[in-house]
Amino acid sequence: MIASMAGALPTEFVMTQISYAAVLPMLLVFGGAMIGVLIEAFAPRRFRHEAQVTLTLLTLVAALVAIATSARDHQGITAAGAVVIDGPALIFQGVIVALAAVGVLAMAERFTADEADAFTQSGAAVPGSPREAAAVRLGATSTEVFPLTLFAVAGMMLFPASADLLVMFVALEVLSLPLYILSGLARRRRLLSQEASLKYFLLGAFSSAFFLFGAALIYGYAGSLELSDIATAVQNQSGMDGLLIPGVLLVVVGLLFKVGAAPFHAWTPDVYQGAPSPVTGFMAAGTKVAAFGALLRVLYVAFEGVRWDWMPILWGVAILTMVVGAVLSVTQTDMKRLLAYSSIAHAGFILVGVLALNQKGVSSTLFYLVAYGFMTIAAFAIVALVRSSGNEATHLSQWAGLGKRSPIVAGVFAFLLLAFTGIPLTSGFTAKFAVFAAAVAGGGTWLVIVGIICSGITAFVYIRIIVLMYFSEPAGDTMVMTPTVMSTLCISLGTLVTLWLGIIPSPLLDLASQSTLFLR
Amino acid sequence: MHTLITLASSEPAATSAATGVTSYAWLLLAFPLFGAALLLFGGRVLDKAGPMIAVLLSWAACVVGVLIAISMMGADPSDRSHTLHLFSWVPAGTFDVNASLLLDPLSITFVLLVTFVGSLIHVYSLGYMEGDSDKRRFFAYLNLFVAAMLTVVLSDNYLMLYAGWEGVGLASYLLIGFWYHKPAYASAGNKAFFANRVGDVGMSIAIMLMFVEFGRTDFAGVNAAASQASEGILTAIGLMLLLGACAKSAQFPLQSWLGDAMAGPTPVSALIHAATMVTAGVYLVVRSHVLFDLAPTAQLVVVIVGAVTLLYGAVVGCAKDDLKKALAASTMSQIGYMMLAAGLGPIGYAFAIFHLLTHGFFKAGMFLGAGSVMHAMDDQVNMRRFGGLATLMKITWVTFGLGWLAIMGVPPFAGFWSKDKIIEAAFVGEGWRPWVFGLAALIGAGITAFYMSRLFFMTFHGKRRWTDDQHPHEAPLSMTVPMIILAVGSAGLGLILGPTGIITSWLEPVVGSAEGGHEPVLSVPVLTVLTLLLVAAGIALAWWRYLRESVPVVAPVGSLATRAARRDLFQDDINEGLFMRPGIHLTRSLVFADNKGIDGGVGGLAAFVGGLSARARRVQNGFVRSYALTMLGGVVVILGALWVVQ
Amino acid sequence: MSLVNYIYLSAILFAIGSAVVLVRRNAIVVFMGVELMLNATNLAFVTFARMNGQLDGQAIALFVMVVAAAEVVVGLAIIMSIYRARRSASVDDANLLKL
Repeated sequence: MIASMAGALPTEFVMTQISYAAVLPMLLVFGGAMIGVLIEAFAPRRFRHEAQVTLTLLTLVAALVAIATSARDHQGITAAGAVVIDGPALIFQGVIVALAAVGVLAMAERFTADEADAFTQSGAAVPGSPREAAAVRLGATSTEVFPLTLFAVAGMMLFPASADLLVMFVALEVLSLPLYILSGLARRRRLLSQEASLKYFLLGAFSSAFFLFGAALIYGYAGSLELSDIATAVQNQSGMDGLLIPGVLLVVVGLLFKVGAAPFHAWTPDVYQGAPSPVTGFMAAGTKVAAFGALLRVLYVAFEGVRWDWMPILWGVAILTMVVGAVLSVTQTDMKRLLAYSSIAHAGFILVGVLALNQKGVSSTLFYLVAYGFMTIAAFAIVALVRSSGNEATHLSQWAGLGKRSPIVAGVFAFLLLAFTGIPLTSGFTAKFAVFAAAVAGGGTWLVIVGIICSGITAFVYIRIIVLMYFSEPAGDTMVMTPTVMSTLCISLGTLVTLWLGIIPSPLLDLASQSTLFLR
Repeated sequence: MHTLITLASSEPAATSAATGVTSYAWLLLAFPLFGAALLLFGGRVLDKAGPMIAVLLSWAACVVGVLIAISMMGADPSDRSHTLHLFSWVPAGTFDVNASLLLDPLSITFVLLVTFVGSLIHVYSLGYMEGDSDKRRFFAYLNLFVAAMLTVVLSDNYLMLYAGWEGVGLASYLLIGFWYHKPAYASAGNKAFFANRVGDVGMSIAIMLMFVEFGRTDFAGVNAAASQASEGILTAIGLMLLLGACAKSAQFPLQSWLGDAMAGPTPVSALIHAATMVTAGVYLVVRSHVLFDLAPTAQLVVVIVGAVTLLYGAVVGCAKDDLKKALAASTMSQIGYMMLAAGLGPIGYAFAIFHLLTHGFFKAGMFLGAGSVMHAMDDQVNMRRFGGLATLMKITWVTFGLGWLAIMGVPPFAGFWSKDKIIEAAFVGEGWRPWVFGLAALIGAGITAFYMSRLFFMTFHGKRRWTDDQHPHEAPLSMTVPMIILAVGSAGLGLILGPTGIITSWLEPVVGSAEGGHEPVLSVPVLTVLTLLLVAAGIALAWWRYLRESVPVVAPVGSLATRAARRDLFQDDINEGLFMRPGIHLTRSLVFADNKGIDGGVGGLAAFVGGLSARARRVQNGFVRSYALTMLGGVVVILGALWVVQ
Repeated sequence: MSLVNYIYLSAILFAIGSAVVLVRRNAIVVFMGVELMLNATNLAFVTFARMNGQLDGQAIALFVMVVAAAEVVVGLAIIMSIYRARRSASVDDANLLKL
């Protein structure tokens, strides 16, 4: 990152080369976010929602196009070893942008009102205060969520593309800080939302301190934070050996926190429950993709040489994560918490793929992330539709008999649950199969057996909800909002991808397996 | 993984690509699948026409099946196995799973059974579900089931078989709970679901093991590689497959769900829980015969499971007063016979399938008869409330009677040819085995005769014990015609296929045949006479107890044995004692979203996990500082582990 | 004095920071604990830079400070809004989401 200054200082300043074509997608998203801030400052209130949504979606589409065209032709390590644009980085970025676009559709849902439905109209006002009432009366909006989302997306894109632990740390913060705020902006149950935000923030900051301290130890060992230099230093086994492994583990802990792996998962259920549902969907999908991308990169590129030191520990983490996610989901009574525990279990399954440590490990992990991302965004978008006396009806008992009240919504949700379960002909099955097959090939048979048992347990949980929706009498005043084109598009996209990847997974599998080579 | 390389070159040449009419086999799946999709998403427009469309599509699949079967019969026996490549499903490097269909005598036999019996039951349902407001959904599920079941039997690899396996489970689950507004019925699906999850875990592990050991999951590849694998691995795969088979086929120790599954509409019980889906386990064992032949231990376990279940089902069947549950117990017992035969090796495979075929006809026929009786008696299922129906429902009486004679194995009806062959095969061998298994099969035949006669006499003969407001009447034509056709099958199918040797020579290319020199330890005529004597004794005893003496309307308390049998030999109590109680004690406060979702009957293991979960979730106490502590604890443990390791 | 002692000091500060996160109730103080951890890390970076004879570590420390400042902005905003809604900055009072 910083030109090496070991020994004599360079006599003249050498400007580093940056391949702008390669980083164009990220620049576009950062630029879009900046313009969004300007719109927030200058555009009249009544145009803001339309303007922001249009800008955000256009930015994301443009970024996707840039990834497919300009960045793809300019692969390599650029910006003085700070950013690496290679096969995995590109495909992770593409997935993140695509997921974000689908997630933004859900965030933009307004039903019949003028402002986004999921977000408070005045985040700064005290819940229930006169100021909040005044803001509502004046028709205030929280359109700042869209630029915030774009900032988070930019951070997520940089995360798996960083070739340097410091850049990775910066990306981690860039993606996290907007998410901390976004989770505190729910319109309903604002106290819960603010609490989620506080918890996420404190624990997130705590974990990034671990990441950074790990990076410091590695710096002490290798004399550099660049992943390729670290890999070389690891190969040569020079320097202070005692620093390396603790450093590696602390860095990995910081990343495991982001993916929600046990025992660093405690924030997940609370934050997922408290945050606005569309934000939950976006962050469940996007953060997981980005963090697993970064995890793959550090493990496969930098720390591969000492795999025997961290492998057993990550095995334990993977097993614990699957068991915790599966077992704890059994007794959940809140839909969003249940989906949160399911996300923990899925993180465990994905870790199984990561630990395969072969090319199939990369491609299957990627496939799983895509499959999980789309199904989870659609699932949370549906959660946002089911209401009871004005609030989101998140208690499971309120979902009883939904199949009768709203057959289509219940049917789609049931399909998504089947995908979470991993029933064949859904993407969930192909994804589980791919990671388990990769793990078996990588010698992780025991992990796979635990995984299969755990997915058996989670199947029980999901099918119980289907039973609840179809085989119970409707109770209470639960109703389903009629989605506008935004949510409809979001849910149908998520569902169609889930179905498509279940029936014809080969295109994505091929694409993923062609992009497994990390540049060093 | 070195086997991977050697395998690629040893592709067995026995199967060839499908040509001619066989290449249209994809229609077998397409027709019912299209029907299911059309009816599910078609909306209310199709409320009227939907059921008829479903019936027609099911018959269309049947016609395709028959055409393929005819073309296969015309071919040389060595050229009857074809594969039809549909598309490349999971291409992942060296590991490549195709969605392909395997058309050979074994699969086409199943296709004929599933589509023919399935279509008849579709027709029957037109009458049976006449008044139901949700007919469209019902027929959609039925079509879905047919499609999934055909996927199971037609797939040429274990992975796709597993996809169909889940599909039939799902359809069965949806159909059991179809009348969810009836409170007792809503939770009935759960036990079925839980047992099947256990089975699925077995299946997944088996498939994973195959992948690890052989690098393939298609039948041909696995069979070719099996001969080089160690016996330990083959035994493990065999046992895991058996676990899956036990769950699907309601075999000991995962049999408990079948009785509860009778809560579904009767046509469903006939199609899924008698004729087709529950026999998928037998299909799986026979289809994997190469693996089982190489793993004698696994094979022995199959035989034991079969023998235990056949006796268990028979004993339970003697005490049930619920007409459908008694039939369910009998299904369990008959599938036990098939499992036993499938475990006996090459001498048994053909007869397992043969009995499966005849059983498909006579048991489906009897279930339809039971449906007709329930239809006439306002959904009454208690046999103590029946009696004397023979004169009022002549067609039902005759068709049911033929099924009754067939299942008991009275010559010349179907069961005689298929079941007696299994009994003979069970007596083949050396040492203690022929005696134990043979006697189990023999005694089972006697008990079968007793409980089936009991059921038949209590329903159709003796005094009328109805409540006053009931006016039994014969069912409409759409219900009786399928019953008649199935009854003709029960009567004649055995005679056509058995003594002529058609079934054994037809299946020989797939399952092989027993080389000569296998004589039962008792000679065949002796066995036949013994069996018939026992059957006669069973009928006589039933006649003595249930026709000569009057049947009380309220069940007497009964002996300890009777009470035990009524309670399914205490299996639920055992489940509860072994798994549930500890689970409850562990927590004392099980908080579930809804008690229906996980009632006591679901199974102890679920409650155990639930208990563990209820305890573990207390860690999630909402305090951010304790979350930070778990994180720090994690870090310390990880670093500590590292320190210990180094 | 040996440079290694600075590393020890940094580790001790890091441990103190994490202890503060665990034992203090006030959200602001908890957050200060996190800041202490970050700054302990900065000390480590600077020391390692000195040991390796590079300047990278010092530059990294600057980056970390900027990031920490950004974190403060967001963090204090969140803590403020919670405090105004509940009239309490205790992290133990924010306990609605659980189980």
